[in-house]
Amino acid sequence: MFAKPLVYFAYLLKTSTYYQQSKQFFYNLLENPQSKIKSYFDLFMICLVMLSIFFLVYSVEHELNSTGEFFEKCVVTVFISEYLLRAWLYCDSHRIIIKEYERAEYLNTRFSVLKTLKKVFGKKLEYMFSLFAMIDLLAILPSYRPLRILRILLIFRLFKLFRYSNSIKVFADVLSNKRFELLTLAILMGFLVFISTVAIYLFENNSSGGNIRHLYDAFYWSIVTISTVGYGDITPVTFGGRLVTIALILTGLGGLSFFTSIIVSAFNEKMHTLRENRTYAELSRFDNFIIICGFGRVGQEIASKLEKDQQPFIVIDTEDDNTLLAKEKGYLYIQDDASKNTVLINAGINSGASSVICVTGDDVINVYITLTSHSLNPKINIIARANRDDNVKKLYQAGASKVIQPFEISGLLAAEYAGQPVAFEAILGILHEQKQILMETLVVYPNCLLEHKKIADIDFKKRKLTLVGVISSNKIHLKRRNRYKVKNQHFYFNPEHQFELQAEDMIIVLGRKYSIEHFQDQIEKSKLRPKK
Amino acid sequence: MKKIIIFGYNNLSYEAISRLDQKSHEVLIVETDALLLKSAVEKGYKTKKLDFRSDDELKSIGIGQSIDIIFCFLLEDSKNVFLTLSARAIDKNLDIIACASSAQSAEKLISAGANKIIDPYQICGQKIYELIKKPDITNIIDHTVFGRDDLHIAEIIIPIGSYLENTYSSHLALNDQYNLVLIGIVDKELGDNLHFAIGEKDHKLDAGDIIVVLGPSREITAFKQEVSNV
Repeated sequence: MFAKPLVYFAYLLKTSTYYQQSKQFFYNLLENPQSKIKSYFDLFMICLVMLSIFFLVYSVEHELNSTGEFFEKCVVTVFISEYLLRAWLYCDSHRIIIKEYERAEYLNTRFSVLKTLKKVFGKKLEYMFSLFAMIDLLAILPSYRPLRILRILLIFRLFKLFRYSNSIKVFADVLSNKRFELLTLAILMGFLVFISTVAIYLFENNSSGGNIRHLYDAFYWSIVTISTVGYGDITPVTFGGRLVTIALILTGLGGLSFFTSIIVSAFNEKMHTLRENRTYAELSRFDNFIIICGFGRVGQEIASKLEKDQQPFIVIDTEDDNTLLAKEKGYLYIQDDASKNTVLINAGINSGASSVICVTGDDVINVYITLTSHSLNPKINIIARANRDDNVKKLYQAGASKVIQPFEISGLLAAEYAGQPVAFEAILGILHEQKQILMETLVVYPNCLLEHKKIADIDFKKRKLTLVGVISSNKIHLKRRNRYKVKNQHFYFNPEHQFELQAEDMIIVLGRKYSIEHFQDQIEKSKLRPKK
Repeated sequence: MKKIIIFGYNNLSYEAISRLDQKSHEVLIVETDALLLKSAVEKGYKTKKLDFRSDDELKSIGIGQSIDIIFCFLLEDSKNVFLTLSARAIDKNLDIIACASSAQSAEKLISAGANKIIDPYQICGQKIYELIKKPDITNIIDHTVFGRDDLHIAEIIIPIGSYLENTYSSHLALNDQYNLVLIGIVDKELGDNLHFAIGEKDHKLDAGDIIVVLGPSREITAFKQEVSNV
């Protein structure tokens, strides 16, 4: 009887974009570690928890006024909503219903509503019994009046902080990774405490002339002694009691050092992940950065130039020496294999990276990284290095936007230098921006002072600039001379006086930095002016 | 015709040779590895097998006499330093272009007497950086000046008696007359530095001054002929 409406409702939810969108929104708000709003929400919750703890402490000696009561109600409302939302997000109930229904249809069996609902509630119960959900629940329950007795449990609100802080989560993670060792230690310590409690009680009870009145005192003394705290409120007086104490102190020291070493080694193992998490967090602040794969000589050269330009970048390399160097220089780096999908995704290939540079010394690896990057983000700009001629084509096939051969350009420069040293210095001087002289492209914006202007009418000489050419994809210029095809546009070298500039053209000028910047400012300003 | 010796036959030297204008340069490759020598011979290059450690052998191939430029493209930096030192000791005016694989070696090569250092890794890094920072201009220069397209950057020395003597750079108007863009001028009166032609100073041209221009090779040849038409 309920089967039909239930299945209908499940399909309705599956197809409703509004439902999906709102679920996605709450997922981003509460669970998605990549989303920005989650970090804001976490911060808000941390403040809320702290404030509520403050009120709790305040209420120990003072009576809360109506504002305090109101605040408490608000806090509880937020906690309850959060708890319910998380339960909702935990699984897609409609999917379970649809799956069960389709299975029943396929196998031609009866669709049992009861069984399906059991599965749905089973899943939700699974959530309710998870550690964090229990903490959440315990933080809410004491606010319910009949349960005032559980007021002390409000301290669980502090544990809620675990949810909102990554580093505390990592700490918990570290401990849980070492649970086998910790359990072994706990069992050992438990035995020791048990034995010493019984032994000290036997030796030091009141009837034997000692200070221990009952077993609880013995237990308390054992804990104080084994942890090497030793308050001294209960001290052994009998010979046997002292022997127990000596034994307990020695084993306690051993146990403590064992415990410390477990924690230290756990953190050592996790250090790599901890550091990487920090790198990712720092990287997520940028939205236009460069991924450099390979930190050999070429990678180092690029990184030092980008650093000077304050252009954010991240280095990925597998070699210890190279990553150590990146670390010393204070660069963001990941020590991992850049050809792995996860590494590139974590490095932000789909979330903010603008270019990938593959400059390892091995062409095979460069091809592989290029291919991986291209498949992960087909739009990203990939610049790759090829050491051998025959690999250039392969890199382009793998999706590189540009391939650079160190030996080719070096050979070319050497030949150029041998033939025409002055011309060589000129071109290098311009490219490397020595002496503040540079070649720059200026965009002709719609409505700016350059649009529809003829070259003859622009006084470059007065502006202390030299016009080299125009880059354009506008078909209007196609009949002009000195046309060179560069990718999907044309470069018009030394355009004639009659050449009329169109919007979106780019002019290439040579000049001092000031002149170029000044001209650029004029162009930018003119585009804002209303057209006559 | 310039005489060039290239020490070491590898990717770098192969690229350099193929870019050198064969008509105006005579190239000799020196290599010790028999297999590499064989492949160079197959490509049709002039080769010689000799030990670069011996000054006599270096002199025997013309260093100190007829050779204008040597390329030290051996694979090990230490060998390049040694070769540079030996060659510089033999000939003070020799143009030495050496390849270095690290910044430290570059310094050593300079102090050993090399005129120009080629560091493939540094050049590659610089190139990639330019591609990121100024993709449009780098692409255009790659396609035209460095590439196989017919647009070149050239330097022209003004000979004695040329029509350009005693004229002013502002009157050159190369872009109208020759379809060339004037990039810069080395005005010998002011030293050996290149002054970029950005309308800052009007240079009086004399014999021996060098003009750097950018343009199609046909126009460059025409202009060169006109200038040297004494």
